[in-house]
Amino acid sequence: MHVRKSYVLLGSFVIWVILAILYHGKNTLQLDTYENTSFTSFVGEQASSIRGNRTKSSLFIYFFNPLRAFINGCVQIVRTLIAIPAGNSIIPIIGWLGVIALVGFLVYVTSQWRTALLAVTLLFACGALNMWTYTMDSIAMTVAAVVLSLAIGIPIGIAAGLSDRVLKVVTPFLDLAQILPTLVYMAPLALVFLIGAASATIATMIYSIPISIRITSHAIRNLNPAPVEASVSMGSTSKQTLTKVQLPMAKQMIVLGINQTVMAALSFAVIAALIGAPGLGKPVIEALIIRNVGQGFVAGFAVVFLAILMDRSTSAAARKQESFIPPTAKQIKNKRIVTAVLGVLTVVAIYLSRTLLWAAVWPKSINISQQVEDVTNKITVWITTHFSFFTVGFRDLISNWVLNPLESLLSQSPWFITVAMIVLIAILVGGVRVAILAFVLLMAIVYSGLWYEAMITLTQTIVATILTMSVGILLGIWIGRSDRAQSVLRPFLDAGQTLPAFVYLIPMLGLFGPTRFTAIATGIIYSIPIVVKIVGEGIRAVPVALTEAATSAGSTTRQIITKVQLPAAKKTILLATNQGLIFVLAVVVIGGFVGSGGLGYLVIVGNLKPELQGKGLISGAVILLLGVIFDRVAQAGARRSS
Amino acid sequence: MKAKFSRRMAAASLVAVSALVLSACSSSVDDAASGSGDCGSWSIAMHAWGGYTASANVVSEVAKAQGCTITQTTLDEGPTTYDAMEAGTIDVIIEDWGGGRWKDWVDRGAIKEVGPNGNVGLIGMYVAPWMAEKYPDITDSKNLNKYASLFKTSDSGGKGAWYEGPPGYTTIGEKLVAANKLNFKVIFTGSEAALIDIFTKAEANKTPAIAYAWQPWTLFAKIPNMEKGHVHFPANDWTDPAKASGLTDYPESPLQKLATTKLMDSGSVFAKIVQNFNWTNDDQNSVALDIESGMDPAAAAKKWIDANPDKVKAWLG
Repeated sequence: MHVRKSYVLLGSFVIWVILAILYHGKNTLQLDTYENTSFTSFVGEQASSIRGNRTKSSLFIYFFNPLRAFINGCVQIVRTLIAIPAGNSIIPIIGWLGVIALVGFLVYVTSQWRTALLAVTLLFACGALNMWTYTMDSIAMTVAAVVLSLAIGIPIGIAAGLSDRVLKVVTPFLDLAQILPTLVYMAPLALVFLIGAASATIATMIYSIPISIRITSHAIRNLNPAPVEASVSMGSTSKQTLTKVQLPMAKQMIVLGINQTVMAALSFAVIAALIGAPGLGKPVIEALIIRNVGQGFVAGFAVVFLAILMDRSTSAAARKQESFIPPTAKQIKNKRIVTAVLGVLTVVAIYLSRTLLWAAVWPKSINISQQVEDVTNKITVWITTHFSFFTVGFRDLISNWVLNPLESLLSQSPWFITVAMIVLIAILVGGVRVAILAFVLLMAIVYSGLWYEAMITLTQTIVATILTMSVGILLGIWIGRSDRAQSVLRPFLDAGQTLPAFVYLIPMLGLFGPTRFTAIATGIIYSIPIVVKIVGEGIRAVPVALTEAATSAGSTTRQIITKVQLPAAKKTILLATNQGLIFVLAVVVIGGFVGSGGLGYLVIVGNLKPELQGKGLISGAVILLLGVIFDRVAQAGARRSS
Repeated sequence: MKAKFSRRMAAASLVAVSALVLSACSSSVDDAASGSGDCGSWSIAMHAWGGYTASANVVSEVAKAQGCTITQTTLDEGPTTYDAMEAGTIDVIIEDWGGGRWKDWVDRGAIKEVGPNGNVGLIGMYVAPWMAEKYPDITDSKNLNKYASLFKTSDSGGKGAWYEGPPGYTTIGEKLVAANKLNFKVIFTGSEAALIDIFTKAEANKTPAIAYAWQPWTLFAKIPNMEKGHVHFPANDWTDPAKASGLTDYPESPLQKLATTKLMDSGSVFAKIVQNFNWTNDDQNSVALDIESGMDPAAAAKKWIDANPDKVKAWLG
């Protein structure tokens, strides 16, 4: 007898709830925060010995330490150029006036004057917010990380583009790197490379090298085959084909890859401050500690401006590669004159910025940061005072009716029942193969000793994802169906993706207090933009013919949405859920700073108390395992439904 | 297209190079800059609580007046800073509550214990002062279970909410709850600011709250009768939190100064200042209060220094 899947799911859920009530509180594997298991103590001891080995083991002396010195050196070179005093100087090699002029000139030369004007204005705004040195530090960190990432990523990407075997070997690592929440690999990196620019740059590289590999490989593989074949048939060697045909044709995509790598590296800038990276992350973290919302937003705005600047400049450069209308002779002549004039002005500006103090160090008089800070703080206080009835009420509603029951079900039932239930759901959604993987990884979590904390974090992740998807799908349908909605929402979505989560963590804390809901609310804000974007794209991709057929057959708008567009976009929605869950997982960890407990808190406290270092490192690994389980199950589910 | 692009790149590089060449050949701002003193250049760790900021700024200002170049670097307390000291990027921690957790680093020769800084720390659990007035027996830990239900929130799972502070703070909260079989759930709020918020709101709105607090802390000056809310557990019998059973209260701990061997062996003025730095809880509270009411930390430090020249003189030995 074939039983419908949904009935099996419902039935097992009911059984789970009954068992959970019967055996509440037994075999939960709960540990107090300060308690260690033999495994966590073991890992902690290994971590201590790594510390001791930093000056003794040859692995450190000949590999890790020189690597750290090299990367530090790279970053220092760029930093002394634009951000910090070089050597015995009191100013960087190029002062602020020179940097603004140089950036404007470079952007003009690689794209057009409008983009250059935008770039200059945004840089000026960063300075006016009293964030000049931090901005320059972030630029230095990003440039160093991007150059190093591209140096490694592009060659591997080319190799993966040309050879199927390389692609097959490399892909699992690329997938893993994308799931890995950033906070997770920061602690191990800091253990080996100490805190500072080196660890931060390596962490950024782990995040952005996969992106450059993926895009380069994709670019090479998707070239128009005709010119390549023509080149081969004319007798070119593979090297000639590569350098004279494939690479130039792939140039636009590669520049796009540079754009994505830059954005990835910059998005790391704030989090990297947690392991001592210089840059805009520092004032944001300090604002979080002293809970000054205004200060956090001032630095946050600078991050957004810098992100927009780098995004627009690099994508404009990418677009420049492919203009089909050749310029007229007059236009060429004008451009040459303007370039020459701007060039001279830039040289003058750089010269001035080295000889005049006001042009070298940002003048204290051009500073609106205090006003921005005060206004932001006033608005936040107003909102927290006047809306607290709603916010506290909503928080308690969700906590009492959703969070607490789910947490009780997941963490207060005997662990073996919960494992069995999750495996069952995995079978129903994704099939037996992925369920076996889920089982193995779940048992690994049980062995790690952190099962209880993992269930706490899982609860928050699930609730945040459900809320994100509810709102995200609605908004996504809206922008998928309405161009106007898209143009209205787009700036908010972009800002939401670039504004560091730490910045709005503080007002969240003010609104909801140190609770689990604060982490969830932050996770929702962080992941809604990506969900809305993906769903919107999915709805737009539904063939127009389908929707038109439905309209002409007399369907109402609601019927069209629920019976045509959503089902056709099902795969996209599953993808959006997957991405949403991963984004949420990354932020729920940050919630450890504001009272959400769970694995995030253990990661944070593991860094601060030597006796808990093992637990902290293992928590990071468990977070990764949770991410992998859900990524694999969701992807298997998506594959099955198509 | 390609030729144009490379020509433009050439133009750009020409600009950059000529700018640098011109700059190298001219006098720069540095010529007018003054050199640093012969005290040397040192780095002091900055940690995330108000009292620490006060102490560190006073030490920095005294050192700067002697010609030292002092960098203040914010980073997490504990192993992060100890590692940085071992690597040489930080030279001194002016206040550590850690009760010896730096032992491994001392054994490796990276860190030296410089001695107590004069501040005495006392951690404890406190209820909002109005509760001590309404329920006088609540300050005896044996009676906490009687009132546990008052402290329930939507996050405390049916038990009373027991708030702890930032992750790095020394605490035996969970041990206290477990050993004394208290019907409370420990919630780690993650920040000093959250604790200030909890106590301030609870006292203003007359709502129940029990949370971690410590002396020296400016909150005791801002909330009158804060000390009345101190919940007393049986007398302390431990110094190492890892060995505490949870049955007894926190000890009074003299707060410690830690420095790198490099600094303490250098013979510089800064080493002397760090060695001799010593002041009371009241001193620290007065500077911290100024900083919290908006004064620039360096200015607040200078104000105290000007008002206490004899103490400062003693540090300069």
